[in-house]
Amino acid sequence: MKHQVASTLIPILLLFLSIDLLKGQSPPGKPEITKCRSTEKETFSCWWKPGPDGGLPTNYTLTYHKEKDSVIYECPDYKTSGPNSCFFNRKFTSIWTVYVITVNATNQMGSSISNPYYVDVAYVVEPEPPLNLTLKIKYPENQKPYLWIKWSSPSLIDIRSGWLTLQYEIRLKPEKAAEWETHFAGQQTQFKIFSLYPGEKYLVQVRCKPDHGFWSKWGPENFIQIPNDVANTDTTVWIFVAVLSVVVCLIMVWAVALKGYSMMTCILPPVPGPKIKGFDTHLLEGKSEELLSALGCQDFPSDCEDLLVELLEVVDSESQQLMSASSKEHLDQSMTKSKHPAPNRDSGLGSCDSSSLLSEKYKEPQENPPAFHTPEGIKKPESSETNGTHAWVPQNLGLGSQIPYSYASGPPSSTRPSPQLPSLQDAMASYHNIADVCKLAMGTPGALATSLDNTEHRALQPLETTETAGEKKAAEQSEVESTHSEADPDTPPQLVPFISEKPLDYVAIHKITKDGALSLLPKKENSNQTEKSGALAPSQEYTKVSRVVGDRILVLVQDLRAPNPASFEELVEEPPPSLQENQGEKDVASYARVPSSFGLQLAGSEYLDPVCLKHSFQ
Amino acid sequence: MDNKALSLKGSSLLLLLLSNLLLCGSVGSLPVCPSGAVNCEVSLRDLFDRAVVLSHYIHNLSAEMFRKFDQQYAQGKGFMARAINSCHTASIPTPENKEQAQSIHHEALLSLVLGVLRSWNAPLYHLATEVRGMQGPQGDILSKAIEIEERNKQLLEGMEKILGEVFPGIKENEILSVWPGFPTPQTADEDSRLSAFYNLLYCLRRDSHKVDSYLKLLKCRIIYDNNC
Repeated sequence: MKHQVASTLIPILLLFLSIDLLKGQSPPGKPEITKCRSTEKETFSCWWKPGPDGGLPTNYTLTYHKEKDSVIYECPDYKTSGPNSCFFNRKFTSIWTVYVITVNATNQMGSSISNPYYVDVAYVVEPEPPLNLTLKIKYPENQKPYLWIKWSSPSLIDIRSGWLTLQYEIRLKPEKAAEWETHFAGQQTQFKIFSLYPGEKYLVQVRCKPDHGFWSKWGPENFIQIPNDVANTDTTVWIFVAVLSVVVCLIMVWAVALKGYSMMTCILPPVPGPKIKGFDTHLLEGKSEELLSALGCQDFPSDCEDLLVELLEVVDSESQQLMSASSKEHLDQSMTKSKHPAPNRDSGLGSCDSSSLLSEKYKEPQENPPAFHTPEGIKKPESSETNGTHAWVPQNLGLGSQIPYSYASGPPSSTRPSPQLPSLQDAMASYHNIADVCKLAMGTPGALATSLDNTEHRALQPLETTETAGEKKAAEQSEVESTHSEADPDTPPQLVPFISEKPLDYVAIHKITKDGALSLLPKKENSNQTEKSGALAPSQEYTKVSRVVGDRILVLVQDLRAPNPASFEELVEEPPPSLQENQGEKDVASYARVPSSFGLQLAGSEYLDPVCLKHSFQ
Repeated sequence: MDNKALSLKGSSLLLLLLSNLLLCGSVGSLPVCPSGAVNCEVSLRDLFDRAVVLSHYIHNLSAEMFRKFDQQYAQGKGFMARAINSCHTASIPTPENKEQAQSIHHEALLSLVLGVLRSWNAPLYHLATEVRGMQGPQGDILSKAIEIEERNKQLLEGMEKILGEVFPGIKENEILSVWPGFPTPQTADEDSRLSAFYNLLYCLRRDSHKVDSYLKLLKCRIIYDNNC
């Protein structure tokens, strides 16, 4: 019997079940609690999302318990917060307590329960948006008009007691614009907006956030129309500034265009000429003014640059000086360190490249006989003390003996510090020394002259010709005749001797006589000679011009016939044709030309530029 | 050298503090007494402003630290269920809602705040130590832990001063909850250690929020007379 009952019941149940399934009914799906929020940290609400209801009316119940006790309560209010919600009022809300909430979905077929949801009210505060948003345009005196935005905190939030602290944010945009312009307003409930476009319609919104919580939703939009008369003074100022700067730019461009070249020369001065190796600028220190005065310049470098030409001149007594305008650098250095000579001082020097100047100098009365100074030291430039003799001594005397050089500085008032003698350390120095001598000579108002000491004076003038082996390789100026000495200021200045380290054969310039004759002696003969007279061993003089090498180089050889200074004189004094006669070289003529710029040969050969000689003998 | 180091530290911490603040208004005008100054007069208003700034900052750090830890180590492990009822400061009877907080007297509330702060001295120290021993990237959490420890000390100092000013001569009942400490390494597996950590950070977040709320209440009540 029982078996029969059971066997009938089961199919009936299955039948019912199948009927239900055919109808589509099932127990409810699992609901899910979506969020819980508190608007003022005193109450809170929770919302859930129901699962599939299984086709049957489903009942939802929310149950919870707090962390401290295990009593389970049911939701006190399902209505206030809307469908599928539970509202906990003040009585049921505890802050800093975890609520464990579950939702139970029940229908005819069954029920299902959600996962537990843990919530602490302190961390889920999300206020309502601020209220009473008002917009107004204000026109204060002496100020730009602005948009004044004002709002009030959401209701129910207790700010006065400090239970909650709110911060606000506003955003606005012109009606047609795509992007909002957001401003953080802090804890204040008003805001000022400047820089608005006149004639535009602006939309404004505001929202708030508690000190630890979520931002509220944006409040309702409010709009305002900006009247057209709201002037934007910024733009006028900027227009004015722009116009002004354009005008200034135009003026500058015009100025540059007009004066461009002179400005360029001012900013980027022309590069000075090459420096001659061997010039010891130290030795030339202080002599620049004298040199420049000889050139007739008052303002270096502007006036004198043109005059600085590469020329070597030998000038006699007041007018006998060795000049060189080769290195502007040396002059520069010396110029900067020395005072300018008195303009009316007759140095007896001509400019190195100007025959006219030279002749002028020569014609000028020799006001101040040169004073000769004994050497004091190699490198000491002498300041304006005239009385001491200054020795123009080369640095390294290759010959092992110091040959002091002295130059005549002018009378006391006009003395200048002596420029440093050029270094004689290299062979090339010798030639350059002559250039320095030129400079020095030019510098001294009286006359630059080398004076011989009682000690060894050796004027070394390397005259080197690379080609002739038979001749002495270098002319050595042994001693420059000087009638110098402190006691004898009237003697004409003499040629400055040079010394070269190079073991060359030098033609020594024995002396320059009053007439400007240059007498040369072979080197060995002139050691320890302190001759003052022009008497020379006949066979030792280099008075004959052998030939012209290259351009403007005169090679001198020994004149075995008649070592007569006079003959030398003749040789040199004669106008170019005579030289040409002797040499048969047309280049010789070039030597006679004074004004042309003679370059000092730098490339390892020393030459005595006979132009200097020529002038000295005129 | 100590003074120099202290002042350097203090100034750098102050910079950090200022850069993290949410409440903009009160920061700029905070006067600070140089450490060691004897006759430094700071008004009660400034003391409260400073205390509120500190408490706000500490809670921000705690919340961030908890969030990071939860994200990195506690996903899907159900630590939250175990964290409930695990705070060692639960024994301190703090108000649970606004009404209770408003009905309690200033003095009592101040004492409670001090008790909570004091109770956290030891755990914060150990927290910094423990974080260093954790596996995985913990640089950010570690720096926050160290920072919170330092700030908590400052806040405690400030609160003691405030209590002395508001209630001079008060005989303070020492409220203190002793922290049981971390589970010893021998007995605990990694999960237990992480769970203990989670609990500590969870409790720190809550207590720092409490302290912050109470101080803001007190400030508005004492300084602004309930008219913030």
